[in-house]
Amino acid sequence: MNNTQRLLAASRARIIGGRALTWSARGMACAAAAALAVEMVVRVYPVDPVAPLLGACLLFGLVVAIAGWARAWPASFQVARIADAALGSRERLSTALEFATANGSLIVMQRADAERWAASADPSGVRDLKVPRVALAIALLAAAGAIALAVLPNPAFQNLRGQRAAIAAQQAAAQQVEVIAKQAQATKNADPAKIAALSQDLHQLGQDVRNAPDPATAVADISKAQQTLGALRDPSLASRQQASAAAGAQLQQNPAASKAGAALAAQDPKTGAAELRKLAGSLSSLSPSEQAQLAQSLKASAAAAKDDPALAAKLQAAADALAQGDTTAAQAALTSAANQADQLAQDTSTDAAIAQTINGLQAVKAGPLAQAQGAGQNQAQGQGQGQGQGQGQGQGQGQGQGQGQGQGQGQGQGGGGGGTGGQGAGGGSAAAGKTPGKPGETIYVPSQGSPGSALVGPGQGSSQGTDTQLVPYESVYGQFRSQALSDVDRQVIPEQERALVRAYFGDTTP
Amino acid sequence: MTATRDERPETATLDPERFRELADSIETELGKMMVGQREVIRFTLTALIAGGHVLIEGVPGLGKTVLVRSLARALHLDFARVQFTPDLMPADITGTQIISEDDSGRRRFQFQAGPLFTNLLLADEINRATPKTQSALLEAMQERQVTAGDKTRPLPHPFFVMATQNPIELEGTYPLPEAQLDRFFFKLIVPFPDADELAEIARRTTGTDEPDLHPVAGGDDLEAMSRLAREVPIAEHVMDHAVALVLATHPDRDGAPDEVRRYVRWGASPRALQTLVLSGRIRALLAGRFNVAFEDLNAVALPALRHRIFLNFEADAEGVGSDVIVNAVLAKHVGA
Repeated sequence: MNNTQRLLAASRARIIGGRALTWSARGMACAAAAALAVEMVVRVYPVDPVAPLLGACLLFGLVVAIAGWARAWPASFQVARIADAALGSRERLSTALEFATANGSLIVMQRADAERWAASADPSGVRDLKVPRVALAIALLAAAGAIALAVLPNPAFQNLRGQRAAIAAQQAAAQQVEVIAKQAQATKNADPAKIAALSQDLHQLGQDVRNAPDPATAVADISKAQQTLGALRDPSLASRQQASAAAGAQLQQNPAASKAGAALAAQDPKTGAAELRKLAGSLSSLSPSEQAQLAQSLKASAAAAKDDPALAAKLQAAADALAQGDTTAAQAALTSAANQADQLAQDTSTDAAIAQTINGLQAVKAGPLAQAQGAGQNQAQGQGQGQGQGQGQGQGQGQGQGQGQGQGQGQGQGGGGGGTGGQGAGGGSAAAGKTPGKPGETIYVPSQGSPGSALVGPGQGSSQGTDTQLVPYESVYGQFRSQALSDVDRQVIPEQERALVRAYFGDTTP
Repeated sequence: MTATRDERPETATLDPERFRELADSIETELGKMMVGQREVIRFTLTALIAGGHVLIEGVPGLGKTVLVRSLARALHLDFARVQFTPDLMPADITGTQIISEDDSGRRRFQFQAGPLFTNLLLADEINRATPKTQSALLEAMQERQVTAGDKTRPLPHPFFVMATQNPIELEGTYPLPEAQLDRFFFKLIVPFPDADELAEIARRTTGTDEPDLHPVAGGDDLEAMSRLAREVPIAEHVMDHAVALVLATHPDRDGAPDEVRRYVRWGASPRALQTLVLSGRIRALLAGRFNVAFEDLNAVALPALRHRIFLNFEADAEGVGSDVIVNAVLAKHVGA
């Protein structure tokens, strides 16, 4: 390799290096501009996650840089011309290269002249590096814009994620509905016809929730299903249970019917029915005085069971027959009363299953409800103040399993997408709230059940319970308050709803 | 001393070192008589080596005649001077047939050669002659031969015309047509000397010592120098630069600067390109290089192009000269 070739090789290396820097800047500019474009586009057409697209932008910039650099790879003549210009060789190098294979005395001298000149030349003066100011400026500006857009909140992303969360919540709610349906189907000693209707309604509800266009609609579907299921309940069941218990309390006083009476008084109509059948079978073995006493007890129990006319009639018939000494007719009447107790037991189980389903649906509603609240808050800042009036009906079972049903009526005002709805509290409590449901939507909340007690709230609703034991409001208030506030603090509940709970307990301090 | 084209002997091959020695010697000899004007001397020598003619523009008294006379003495070539006037006829410069009588008393026509039949001709104030006479001279410049009667006679070799123009006192003059201007290799502007040069001129010309010029080269040397110069290689991109310079003087070309588009009626001819390249080659050799560089072309652009660019009325009205145009072209294309 002669001096000229060495000089050209060194010059080529420097030119390539300079162009690498130039094309790196251009590649960065392309990548940054593409990233900026992506960030701008995803604000209109959200793509989540956006990281792969940004990665593609980087790849694009890399491709531009490499392709441009490769395309700008200098040819030998170009290197010679650049070296001539940079080193001030007065075209010696390019001429020598062009006439490298030509003959002629002057051409040979020219090559020798170029060779001499190259021997003393310093290739460090060869620079093909023009600071790519435009490319760097574009890269910096575009990168800053892209970063700013990436850091700033993207409403489109929030909407998209909200939609996804809403769909997920609806899917989860639909699955929960299916689980509840299976649990309802597995209920024992319940009315098969009602359970079948219940299962069908739940199945339909699951499909409706899954296909609902938005969480609010899903919540509305669930609320509607709760109403439909509520219609399956026996409104007279409470009075019948009370009548049965009262009748049992009377029978309990008679030694012959004490077991049956105790069972009925303890709200165990199934056992009570069995004892009544045993009593019917033992009538003939009773002495006349015992029969007379039993007749009196039956008469008293019939009177106590006036809220259940059918049971009262059966007991009265048994009392009359026994008073006349007609044990056969008395047996038939007592058997009928036992059947009536069996029916009560079945109705109680059915009602419990329905109530449990309704309460389960209330829990199911929490997910879509949270999504609907989030969407409502995003769409409208500030919702109208709601005033709710609740009418509640509570039922309790002595076995310590509380079942409650609340019915609320709300009136909403406001400029947002959702109005405010009333919120009914189980056990007859009602509280004004700002639930972003649809105006007039009925919302169920689970009651706070406790053994032998029913929550009596300050709402306008009237409560009817059949609990055998009632406790003073003041004695449970503190426990309820601490439990409620603790639950509220532990769960993800919107601040408005937390404030509502705190305000409720503040207003209801005894 | 002089020889016609047909009689020229084969000249020996010249090496670049000898080329520079001869050029330096000629310039040194000229410098004995000429004060300053180094650029004019260099361009005149370049045109002489290239075999071209020079049109010199300058006010009287700047040494134009001295330059040509000194050149003839340094090259020991024949010299003739013709003062062009409106009544000068073509035959006055080309020669004419006269009747002569031989020893036997027989009369016959004999050609009496005019001042054109010389090696170095100073055509002083050429623009004062009528176009007819100008054309006779310019034809001789181009064809290097003279036709008188029914016979064509070749001019001596080398044949170098240095024509002068006076930029003032233009009344009663006949400006040279564009086609004839194109036949001049260079148009040189002789600048007025500065104070030091004027003082030196006074010292040299008013004393008793007269510079003694010695012949340092002959016609054969010029021929050899010309031949050597034509062998100087020029790279393709350098040639492209010369082409770009010429094309840039045309207002309808892409590379033309705004000044050309506005003021130029017609741009330089292909002769301009030939002049650029040939004078660039000579300049490279004079600079001790063996290849033509961009700077060689740029350096000769003004004398090679200024008389080949024809300006429009707007340029005349605004006082824009052709040098402004050439400089604009150079500003746009220098370093290409």
